[in-house]
Amino acid sequence: MFGLPDITIIAVGGVVLVITILLLYWGLTFRGHD
Amino acid sequence: MTEMASDILTIIVVSLYFLLMLGIGFWASKKIKSTEDYLVAGRQLGFWVFVLLMIGTVCSGMSLLGVAGLGYKAGWPTIWEQIFVPLSIGVCIIFFGVKLHNVARKAGYVTVQDYLAHRYESPTALRSLSAVAGIIVSLIYLVGQYTAISMVLIWLFGIPLWLALVIATLVTMAYTAIGGLYAVAWAALIQSVMLIVGVLVMAPIIIWKAGGFTQVNEFIASVNPNLVMPWNPAGAFAPPYVVSFALLLGLGLACAPHVINNVLSIKDVKYFKWSPLIAFLLYGVVIFLLKFAGFAGLAMVKGGEIAARTGVANPTDYVILDALQSSLPTVALWAIFAVIVLAAVMSTTDRLMLTIGAMFSWDIYKKILHPEAPDKTVLLISKIVVVVSALGTMIIAINPPEMLAILIWMGIGTMLATFAVPLLAGLYWRGATREGALTSMALGLLAALLFGFLNYFKVNALGIDFATIPLHFSAYAFVISLLAMVIVSLLTKKTPDAILDETQTGWYISKQ
Repeated sequence: MFGLPDITIIAVGGVVLVITILLLYWGLTFRGHD
Repeated sequence: MTEMASDILTIIVVSLYFLLMLGIGFWASKKIKSTEDYLVAGRQLGFWVFVLLMIGTVCSGMSLLGVAGLGYKAGWPTIWEQIFVPLSIGVCIIFFGVKLHNVARKAGYVTVQDYLAHRYESPTALRSLSAVAGIIVSLIYLVGQYTAISMVLIWLFGIPLWLALVIATLVTMAYTAIGGLYAVAWAALIQSVMLIVGVLVMAPIIIWKAGGFTQVNEFIASVNPNLVMPWNPAGAFAPPYVVSFALLLGLGLACAPHVINNVLSIKDVKYFKWSPLIAFLLYGVVIFLLKFAGFAGLAMVKGGEIAARTGVANPTDYVILDALQSSLPTVALWAIFAVIVLAAVMSTTDRLMLTIGAMFSWDIYKKILHPEAPDKTVLLISKIVVVVSALGTMIIAINPPEMLAILIWMGIGTMLATFAVPLLAGLYWRGATREGALTSMALGLLAALLFGFLNYFKVNALGIDFATIPLHFSAYAFVISLLAMVIVSLLTKKTPDAILDETQTGWYISKQ
């Protein structure tokens, strides 16, 4: 896909997806305290 | 358009940008009533000013020129930079920012050194070591930024390096010195918007001109199949190096003084809720497009559309400028892109200068040398240090390094080895002691400077070829810093519980 080997798509796409999900989870659960 | 008309247009565009920045500095100077206003913008920054300040601070000279230059040189194995640099904003906010902000509100911290002095009960030793280390690493980083600014001005106007440096330094120095963090933050808002819009428009034009996303990948794969792999088993970006790269960029940049001090300046802790995700996605797209423009530049050079640079110290860093020149029809658009590059570089440069000013005037002058000094004097000293640091690094930048990215990574690597362990251990481990922090910071700094020197100058000593060590040099220094913290802390007297409770030390991010 996109002229790239599958391993590049899986490795790079996988890491981006995991980070995005984790940051989304942070946003949904963070309440914040002052 | 005639050459003269295009030159005049270029001068007008760049001059307007410089005037806008100076105008912001002048406007901001009216809001400065105290050192706290100057250094932490009165803790009044709003959500978008904060998000774009974080992006502007992290997005440096390397982000526009060095990122594309590295993509041109080493291909997809360097793509991790595009993930971990945007992630560093989230790491900074989540693992450092939430707790530091909450404690800072109560304790009145102006710099991260205030936190270290409080948490480790070391108002003189750790504060001064931390401030001196922070000034050293910020200066290394600042030299890289000036190199990038002057490259753009030379490219655009064909003026000598010294003149380019003088112009860039005077403008950045002027608005930073008079307007403090208010000026830096509002300038970053405008600079980051220009950067995001500019890259979203111009990088796709370069990529399209080189044949499009798929064709560029196929072309660079035909040059060398390793250029489209996620790591390069035969080159500098082997898997162990990529892991150390994640540590370097994701954590090193997150704990850099000029980045971490931003978390002290926001109005409301709730801004930390969505800013990590928004910054990651927004900046991630921008920096990915820049890297891909570097790949497109490689395809254009190999395809004979543009010529590889010769006769300059850092030829690969010019690839995005040359690719742009070949892709865009008019000089007017180059001028706009040049302003975007300047905006990106200046948004980091100004923050670095202000951070150096803060570490000297607040941590060294006010907190150590002259605790009784009136606020007015501290404010004046801050401004003087901004000017001196700008002029000093300008002189160093006259001989630019071979590759911009290397110098900037050296700066980040030194920040990682010096600050990451004392900060993380301080925030999360109740067993971390003052002696542990002092040893960890001192050894981390010395090891990073030593390994950085041996690696940069390709020294072969004690049977080790430092040019080809498998990890980024900062990873070794980080491990030394970590071991020093654990061993020395276990052997020395614990910090009193009262201090640990005041500084919210423990294995949590925020108390629910």
